[in-house]
Amino acid sequence: MEVRLCWRDSGRQEVLEVEEGESVLEAAEVAGVGLPFGCRTGACGTCAALLFEGEVSHRRPPRALKQRHLADGYVLPCIATPETDVRLEVGAAVQRDLVPNPWK
Amino acid sequence: MSDAEQSGEAGAHDHHDYDHGVEGPGYATPQAAIEEAEPEQTAYVMGLHVGQDVDAPDFLAVVDVDLDSDTYGEIVERVQMPNRGDELHHFGWNACSSSCHVSGLERRHLVIPGQRSSRIHIVDTKDRRDPEITEVIEPEEVYEHDLSAPHTVHCIPDGEILISMLGDADGDLPGGFLELNDDFEIEGRWDPPGEIDMNYDFWYQPRYNVMVSTEWAAPKTYYPGFDLEDVEAGNYGRSLHFWDWEAGEVEQTIDLGEEGQIPLEVRFQHTPEGAHGFVGAALSSNIFHFWRDDDEWRVEKAIDFEAREHDDWDMPVPPLVTDILVSMDDRYLFGSNWLHGEVWMYDISDPANPRKADSLSVGGYFGDRQEVGGRDIVAGPQMLQLSLDGERLYWTTSLFSSWDNQFFPEEAEQGSVMLKADINPRKGTMRLDEDFLVDFGDLPEGPARAHEIRWPDGDCTSDVWQ
Repeated sequence: MEVRLCWRDSGRQEVLEVEEGESVLEAAEVAGVGLPFGCRTGACGTCAALLFEGEVSHRRPPRALKQRHLADGYVLPCIATPETDVRLEVGAAVQRDLVPNPWK
Repeated sequence: MSDAEQSGEAGAHDHHDYDHGVEGPGYATPQAAIEEAEPEQTAYVMGLHVGQDVDAPDFLAVVDVDLDSDTYGEIVERVQMPNRGDELHHFGWNACSSSCHVSGLERRHLVIPGQRSSRIHIVDTKDRRDPEITEVIEPEEVYEHDLSAPHTVHCIPDGEILISMLGDADGDLPGGFLELNDDFEIEGRWDPPGEIDMNYDFWYQPRYNVMVSTEWAAPKTYYPGFDLEDVEAGNYGRSLHFWDWEAGEVEQTIDLGEEGQIPLEVRFQHTPEGAHGFVGAALSSNIFHFWRDDDEWRVEKAIDFEAREHDDWDMPVPPLVTDILVSMDDRYLFGSNWLHGEVWMYDISDPANPRKADSLSVGGYFGDRQEVGGRDIVAGPQMLQLSLDGERLYWTTSLFSSWDNQFFPEEAEQGSVMLKADINPRKGTMRLDEDFLVDFGDLPEGPARAHEIRWPDGDCTSDVWQ
């Protein structure tokens, strides 16, 4: 599957070829494209991305994401495998929006 | 001075139950640590790139704090971890004064966990200014014990190492404790599963056969960021657990209530006879004093920090007491109010009645000082470390990458700083050292965060005495 990545702040774009069963993060590492990540198991949300087009499935439950995040289109590239060609917004800026300052 | 030489000097010490013809790491007593310690020349500091668009691993920073050096206040070496994404956070030594009767053991290896990765690194500091990674315990080995998210590292007597683990292999509850042997291999899970749900920091006091542990939340709860929904749902902790240290079982759990939400750093007095300690309830921004009363532990709120109104905030800003430490002479409790931008010291010579000695207003949302030496601070004072003689307090400004993003988003772009205050323990005063600033924002790979600080010869948050 083809995965198109875009970064909000820099406008950078990359295209990855993702093998069957491979996660987006694994494919990015093979291609030498650095994405933020932490636990690599779906618990921490450091790699959080926004799904703009296409479908992915998570190979483990995405525990870092609440229902509202899933409804907003957040996915976790460390455990997400594309079901179709997809377009994702990636990079640290996506994680920064995941949980805003609750008091401000 | 090497650790071996150090323990040689301290080798003739005597205390309690042990034959002190032998030489081991550390100091015979807290007072011996104060007397024998040279002013620190090197600081080890956790440096982070996790969660940034910086394609580089986290690192151990070696910071020159030798006043006579040409590179004073600079990062003189960085030991990069073998993988990205660890979130280095807290770390500890393979041995401390708790093993001072164990001959042949040295305070030499740092145990450096990745909070997000659950990977554990062993770093040899034989050459203090050029440490090297010697072993790596991979996450899969940790998950085999149904544990994840390593946090506090304490060496325990006889060369073994105990690490608080905040979650199970899925990043859910319960957490527990992982034990390493003196070859840095996983010995196994220390506690029977089910003794506790939430975990965070711990400290032990052998003469009372007690360990005390605190509560943050499940990793899957705190990792992505601080969500008030989780507080309302009871997903954050508010209890202290007092363990039978020998048996490894919880004997007493105390619910601190609404005023004790998110109890994080916990410190016993250093004197091995000390039956008093303190815990900072970060969210409620209160300090609780705990003490032994006959055969049970009791807890009472001892310091209450008030929230403050801020024009840009819908709610009053809580101070968020994120770190505390006890001076080696047990005379002062130091702490940081991360959001407000305050570092404080309280006289705890009467532990039940802490008396404010002094404070500094620096960084955060209300600090009088927002820059040092022309560098914007962009966050509040957070992890603290005090010299063994109690005269120099250092701190860094990052709490946790995802939480930093919520409360001090500029820190991602500017990086953390390490600052210092000069303390007069006789007068109970503190003064910002205007000439000291270590800039973690100015590194070749990009800006970095900075977290816990340690000295090679032990510090005020590492050593325990038997």
